[in-house]
Amino acid sequence: MKRRNFFWLLKCSLVLLLLLQLTGCWSSKEIEELGLVAGTALDLEKKADLSEEVEGHEERYPNRVMITITNQLITSQTTESGKKTGAPQQKSFKNVSETGDSILPVLRKMILKIDKRAFAQHSKVIVIGEDLTRTLNLQQILDFFLREQEMRLSGQILIAKNNAKKTLESQETSVIPAFHLFQITKSQERTTKILPPLSLAKVMGKLHSGSSFLVQTVVSEKGEVKFAGAAVIKGKTKKLLGFLNEKELEGIVWLTGKGKGGVVKSFDKATSQPIIYEIKSMKSKIQPRIVNNNISFDVKIESEGSIAEHWVPSGKPFENEFLKKAEKTTEKEVESLVKNVLVKTQQNYRVDVAGFGNRLRIEYPRVWEKVKQDWDHTFSKIPIKYNVNLTVKDYGTSGSN
Amino acid sequence: MKVSHKDRITTPQAVIVLINYILAAGILTLPRTSVEKVKTPDVWLSVIIGGLIAIIAGVIMVKLSQQFPGKTIYQYSQVLLGKWLGGLLSLLIVGHFFTLAAYEVRALAEVTGFFLLEGTPIWAIIMPFMWVGLYLVFDGINPIARLFEIIFPITVVIFLLVTFMGFEIFEIDNVRPVLGLGLIPVLKGIKTTVLAFLGPEIMLLLTAFMQKPNKATKVILVGIAIPMIFYIITVIMVIGALSIDGVVLRTWPTLDLIRSFEIQGLIFERFESLLLVIWIMQIFSTFTITYYAASLGLSQIFKMKMNPFMYGLLFIIYVIALIPKNINDLFKFGDLIGNAALVLFGVLPLLLLLISKVKGGKT
Amino acid sequence: MKRRKIEIKLSQQQQQQTSQIEKQPETAKVPFTGNITIDLDQVRKELGHNSDVGFREFFLGNTGIRASIIFLYGLTDKELINKYILKSLMTNFPERHEHREVSLKEFITNQALTISDLTEVNNLYDTVSKILTGNTALLVDGIQEVIILGTTKEKARNIEEPVSEALVRGPRIGFTETLSDNTAILRQHGCNHNLSIIQIQVGARSKKELVIAFINDIADPALVDEVKERIKTINIDDLPESGYVEQLIEDNYLSPFPQVQNTERPDRVFSALMEGKIAILLDGSPFALIVPVTFSMLLQSPEDYYERWIPGSLIRLLRFLAAILSLFAPSMYIAFISFHPGLIPTKLALSIISSREGVPFPALIEALIMEISIEILREAGLRLPKPIGPAMGIVGGLIIGEAAVQAGIISPIMVIVVSITAISSFAIPQYSAGITLRILRFVAMFCAAVFGLYGIILFFLLLCSHLVKLKSFGVPYVSPAVPYRISDWKDFILRMPLFMMKRRPKMLHTRDSNRKG
Repeated sequence: MKRRNFFWLLKCSLVLLLLLQLTGCWSSKEIEELGLVAGTALDLEKKADLSEEVEGHEERYPNRVMITITNQLITSQTTESGKKTGAPQQKSFKNVSETGDSILPVLRKMILKIDKRAFAQHSKVIVIGEDLTRTLNLQQILDFFLREQEMRLSGQILIAKNNAKKTLESQETSVIPAFHLFQITKSQERTTKILPPLSLAKVMGKLHSGSSFLVQTVVSEKGEVKFAGAAVIKGKTKKLLGFLNEKELEGIVWLTGKGKGGVVKSFDKATSQPIIYEIKSMKSKIQPRIVNNNISFDVKIESEGSIAEHWVPSGKPFENEFLKKAEKTTEKEVESLVKNVLVKTQQNYRVDVAGFGNRLRIEYPRVWEKVKQDWDHTFSKIPIKYNVNLTVKDYGTSGSN
Repeated sequence: MKVSHKDRITTPQAVIVLINYILAAGILTLPRTSVEKVKTPDVWLSVIIGGLIAIIAGVIMVKLSQQFPGKTIYQYSQVLLGKWLGGLLSLLIVGHFFTLAAYEVRALAEVTGFFLLEGTPIWAIIMPFMWVGLYLVFDGINPIARLFEIIFPITVVIFLLVTFMGFEIFEIDNVRPVLGLGLIPVLKGIKTTVLAFLGPEIMLLLTAFMQKPNKATKVILVGIAIPMIFYIITVIMVIGALSIDGVVLRTWPTLDLIRSFEIQGLIFERFESLLLVIWIMQIFSTFTITYYAASLGLSQIFKMKMNPFMYGLLFIIYVIALIPKNINDLFKFGDLIGNAALVLFGVLPLLLLLISKVKGGKT
Repeated sequence: MKRRKIEIKLSQQQQQQTSQIEKQPETAKVPFTGNITIDLDQVRKELGHNSDVGFREFFLGNTGIRASIIFLYGLTDKELINKYILKSLMTNFPERHEHREVSLKEFITNQALTISDLTEVNNLYDTVSKILTGNTALLVDGIQEVIILGTTKEKARNIEEPVSEALVRGPRIGFTETLSDNTAILRQHGCNHNLSIIQIQVGARSKKELVIAFINDIADPALVDEVKERIKTINIDDLPESGYVEQLIEDNYLSPFPQVQNTERPDRVFSALMEGKIAILLDGSPFALIVPVTFSMLLQSPEDYYERWIPGSLIRLLRFLAAILSLFAPSMYIAFISFHPGLIPTKLALSIISSREGVPFPALIEALIMEISIEILREAGLRLPKPIGPAMGIVGGLIIGEAAVQAGIISPIMVIVVSITAISSFAIPQYSAGITLRILRFVAMFCAAVFGLYGIILFFLLLCSHLVKLKSFGVPYVSPAVPYRISDWKDFILRMPLFMMKRRPKMLHTRDSNRKG
């Protein structure tokens, strides 16, 4: 009995082995034959350069928007040359661009240009150009990336002012710009001038829910890439509405209480010298209120921090009075930041990007069901009260200057 | 043809068989299927209610089986309903088991083919898997139970590890408010969540194999409570990370949860491989136990040896597994099995229990 | 089913034995006549052509009764024969014994011979086999029985520290090739009146003594019977080493896993006995066998118990890790490199990519080259004379590895993986278990090369399916892991403090389950 079983198994495994010899290893892809995609940039193609690109069947749909895709590839050649010392320095990445009217065909066109199979599982960022998001629906742009199993949902979305392709360039040879960007997206710890990172996983929920949201924005200036402000995506159209500058972004961070660190600079009234307040913790509570079917919001912002730097000659931190004064001026500053951004979003852009709607959904789900269809419009008319309360806990190791 | 002493399993073994049977393909899709129905973050409540219903159904099945110690449903249904009707019922149950096995195998092939082995043909994924299953099933329930005992702790450890790593992207706002729109949405999701607890029917057979059949009710309680905890954790973590609106768009939301974060500084930065490992093991355990239940059924109905049926069923399961043309067909196929099971194991055991009480009263 | 198999084997065996006896009627159980001339001729016919057989004829004292001793030169203790046999029979023999009330035979055995080991046989077959094991046969005219005198001189080597199982802490004593020494060591080590040592003769042509040792009031009697029964089924010409016994009594000859534990360490044997296990010792082999065995036992070392429990537990954990590594490391590497490059950390992927640039082989071939050359290296290192061995390791491991990397045939990361694997497999205390893992490692590599991670999972499931079916003398091979027995887990992956281990392993069904009192 046992003996028979074994020989049966043996035969089976022999057959299996033979089959494998015949068919080979279907899915095997050796790592050195891959070109790792570190990041992708999507841009709107200017119509002017288009004529030569258009192929036969595309003429039938003359109004299609053309997209230029730039993949940042890291291959075995680039990594090796980047590592060897003494050899002439070569860039440790390779940017490949191609143009077309949808994503995958374009990516496949790239195969003709590169010897490695592009492999996107290590892709860290997708940078979308300003023009493209103004003309095309973000859902359509990202559809391929959300569908493709090779794209990990941990990849970050960025919107580039001007040109997205340029953000993936770098003067330094040893830096891989896509990884560089990816690291910066997470620098929320020490500044309030950056949004919490927005990954593909988070963006798909936001896109589907139809609410407006903000995306981190990068800008490439004179060969330097820096994060600047945030892009406002309108929930209904899923297109770019405009940008918030750094000040406004700070206001948003204070409103949502999502910041983890950073500084507030305010000026002493009497001497007009700056006082720098360093944030240790930040909390905000958005409380929706409903009185007679009228929605209103109370925002309560609390923060603890320390005085990191003050240029006021007479300031004596050992006296509580000075601390109170510093608190007051900083509170004023924060209030103005918040006010600034509320005006901008409620009156200029008429969108809710600070999560007021979300709070309403949680506190008054039934009211939310009624207003959610046209929330951005409703929001622009809702009165919002806010109250900032800061506490200075300490003033560093130095008492006076 | 009573169950021989050698084949007896202990109470913890029975619990683990039940848990491993329940946890299967569903855990990857449950967040989506249930959110589609419920549409609020209260899905976890539906899961709890679904679990409670499964427990009730399970207890009925256990009570039924305890009326006939040492006998499986295939044997006592013929006593209760007569030879032909009982035989027919047994065949239906056998049918349920092997179609479920085929469904699990196909789901495995789909997920593995998509995430791990792009380009490998389905037959090549399925066949070695089924052979390994056949090798295990050959020697009866005892090795199966023991293998499950090996798989189970691995599953628990890796599952908890992987899902709790997801805390990085968890947002409490996504799972609030609780019962914001009342109970109605929660109730809508119950059918879906009950189907996720497909599995207590194994107790119709397993009770006969237990060393202490009087503890079978306890087995049901623990054996459903633990998958319930698994499901609740999964649903809450997935919704918390991806939000209600994100979840409904994803084919395999639980895998997407793991694919949505990277933790740097550990040996692994990415954990979906770990989740797939335990998931494949869970599919394997569901496959083997259903496969075994089906072959046992056939051998007891026709009062013949089990081995020829095993070979035959292997082929049948393989063919059925290849029937669905695409993934939507597969999900429909799964719903079909679930609906059939609701009738077969939700209603019939109660009827049988009543019949046995009536008959018992007469004699 | 298994039981039936054994019964069939047993009956076949008996048939064979009887037929063997029928084939040799002349040497078989023909009783001696008592006439020394005839009897001696018979023995001469059987053994006389051998140059190492000595026949010494003499008279019993002054009585004029003829007698003769037959013995093997070299195997017998000459001093013993001269001083205590010949002297007492020839010079010190009283002239007239008939006056006494006892027969001549009784007089000789009870009064004349001052020798401890004495038996009687009455046929040629037994006589010859006794002589060949070093005993001296005494034939006396007029006595039908042959008196067998134990004069075996053991060719023993000194008791040394076991080479195959070195310990930092623990008794520096190992078994030798001499059975009586080994049993003596056990007795000395045990000091337990319940230690049973049962002798069985095995081997159809060359007779070997085999000993089953167990503690009477601990070991499961059913287990003892099972072991005895299986040893009785051994039907083979000769058993040069206890490895033969192991292979002939194991449960599943197809399994890659060792189902009998072998050890040179008496302390290990004795602690196994105290757990209710059974030891089998064969004459001529310094390796004792312990049954039943479980997989976790193969990863244990006596040192775990000699050290304090915290280091003991941690080291044991380390060994489990080493076992997993030595089994799966290369296959994991293959799976991730050639199937799932997306599942490894980005920075690691980058460094692997750059290190593999220019390597001409796919990962599987690369791994096979390295693994096979390391196996060859290891085998070569065993065969080489001791002083050259380590040098060989250095040449092979360092120089060839370095050169292969320099030449661009092998990637440096592969060298790391292979060396980690090799080192891990050395950390497994049982040589036989190490071999098993080495074999299975190659299977895992092939599975990984075909199906990637999925292949490894399938391999793992197959392996576990096999393990849960495997039994060693009725004890599940994977116990105490499954079926769950929490009380047995105190001595499984962790080694709990000694005072907590109050009970013997339940899986062995011991008679006395308490370790204390």
